Amino acid sequence: MKHYRSMISPYVLWAFGFIIIPFIMIMVYAFTDGGLSLTDAGFSLDSFAEMTDSLYFTVFTRSFSTGILTTLLCLFIGYPMAFFITKFDERVQGTLILITTIPMWINLLLRTYAWIGILSDNGLLNSFLKMLGIGPVSIMYTGIAVNIGLVCNFLPFMILPIHTSLSKMDPSLLEAAYDLGANKVQAFTRVIFKYSIPGVLNGVIITFLMAISAFVIPKMLGGGQFTLLGNLIENQFISVGNWNFGAAVSLILAIVILAAISFLKRIDPDGTV
Amino acid sequence: MKKIISIVLILTMAFSLVLTGCTKKEDEKKKLRIFNAGEYIDKSLLTEFEKAYGCEIIYETFDSNESMYTKIRSGETYDILVPSDYMIERLIKEDYLAEIDWEQIPNKKYLQEHLLGQDYDPEDKYCVPYYYGSVGILYNKKVIDKEDLADGWELLRNTKYAGNIYMYDSERDSFMIACKALGYSMNTIKEKEIKKAYKWLVKQRDTMDPVYVTDDVIDNMISGNKSLAVVYSGDGALIISENDDMDFFEPEQGTNLWTDCMVMTKDCKNQELAMEFMNFMCDPDNAYLNTQYIGYSSAVKPAFEMIRDDDYKGIKAFVPRIHFDKDEVFRYQTNKTRKIYSKLWTKVKAY
Repeated sequence: MKHYRSMISPYVLWAFGFIIIPFIMIMVYAFTDGGLSLTDAGFSLDSFAEMTDSLYFTVFTRSFSTGILTTLLCLFIGYPMAFFITKFDERVQGTLILITTIPMWINLLLRTYAWIGILSDNGLLNSFLKMLGIGPVSIMYTGIAVNIGLVCNFLPFMILPIHTSLSKMDPSLLEAAYDLGANKVQAFTRVIFKYSIPGVLNGVIITFLMAISAFVIPKMLGGGQFTLLGNLIENQFISVGNWNFGAAVSLILAIVILAAISFLKRIDPDGTV
Repeated sequence: MKKIISIVLILTMAFSLVLTGCTKKEDEKKKLRIFNAGEYIDKSLLTEFEKAYGCEIIYETFDSNESMYTKIRSGETYDILVPSDYMIERLIKEDYLAEIDWEQIPNKKYLQEHLLGQDYDPEDKYCVPYYYGSVGILYNKKVIDKEDLADGWELLRNTKYAGNIYMYDSERDSFMIACKALGYSMNTIKEKEIKKAYKWLVKQRDTMDPVYVTDDVIDNMISGNKSLAVVYSGDGALIISENDDMDFFEPEQGTNLWTDCMVMTKDCKNQELAMEFMNFMCDPDNAYLNTQYIGYSSAVKPAFEMIRDDDYKGIKAFVPRIHFDKDEVFRYQTNKTRKIYSKLWTKVKAY
């Protein structure tokens, strides 16, 4: 066992260089006031004081409600899909899983641009509705457009872990449940769903994480007035140049995410997540 | 099997050695690192320059002056930048730019004179003008009443057109609109005036439900998704050339006149090559090709006039208003002022 330890060292180095050091940098920036530079900066809590503005609370709640809604939609669409995929022959399953990942082969920006073409006021969707004689609907640059974009992009991350959990389940358990007199609903709630909980939790955590820190999709589909935490942070770093405030928001976001994950982990009875 | 693998491995290693040898030779080729705004050059000109001067151009793009500044502040180095007026002033003040030797840019004689000697660089020490323009309102002639145009910037708060409007997601241009509508200077540093401008923008946001967009305004207005939009004159010209229903005007309350210039940084190692490039871009024929591609108003007079009288004939947006006393140029802001503005702009958008 001992000689394996040295094999870990590249990963330790990796984690140190790309996770720990950047995180320390964020902390340093969050608690100082020097703007872009660290040389003439002093300790300060200004960034956190600024965050008490009720406005940023609105941004937080908007981000969380968008994140939660996206996660729930992904779960309700993704779970049945993962479930039906497991019903197929194993070889077909491989192909089906491959198909669900196809969107991920295409760049995220391109996929989002495609949504712009579909959802915009004179886009595909509205021309289709026009043909049916239904008035034009304005979806582009609203929360609905953002949610559609997010769900479409993150759905595979929900389907894959759920499918993995479900396909690991021993089919004889289900047969046993039926033999013992369970009906279809009972068999699902008591056996199938229970076995898929680790996958569901994994999927929920990944989708929620990505949805809450997303900034490209909300920017492109929601416009500048649909500000989420990701946009707020991006703005502070890229255009405003107030890295201290940006770092403080990132730090709070990181803490909230950690709290959310540890809460979700507690739900899992076997602690397999 | 093992043998084959080892042979393949040895071959790849040997091959990569040969390759590194090659790249070393390439390194001796002169390099020019250019940092320009997106969609702001005809790239075939770059290839042509590379061929003519036996150099290699490393070309990168940014999406706003501010993001350019952040990138160079975080340690990236470039030879040539193409920022706007106020950002040039900031770069000059922070000692980032190298002086230009006009002797090496004989094509200076083709530049439009009103673009030289501006307040941000009164002695023309640093800037070679590239493109210029104004900010105005693009409107759909079929939807907007002609009489309403007299309201100038207040047209953007006319509730008749609520929900039918794109604002440009730029802190300085948005505050420019509010300041001009209220009759202030767009470079105001008086906190009272800034607060009032902020209230103007908040009221507009609440009553008009605008969408804050950036370059996507071009596609959206070409397909006529909304009837009003704040645009740069060059974008306006492009949109009008694609969609006849649209027209452009610069409000009487005054607007922002901007100039984008090529500047040379202090990091530039091969200044002669950099100036050779600037001269190349000021050549009337090259500028003509470039302008045809970009669609903005060229600083090179013959190129500008040729396109004005031909490709963009009759399109007002291609000929920005000059010498109008209410129009201004953005000036440098101190850190303190910038903070006030950016905080308020974040508040306007993130309600």
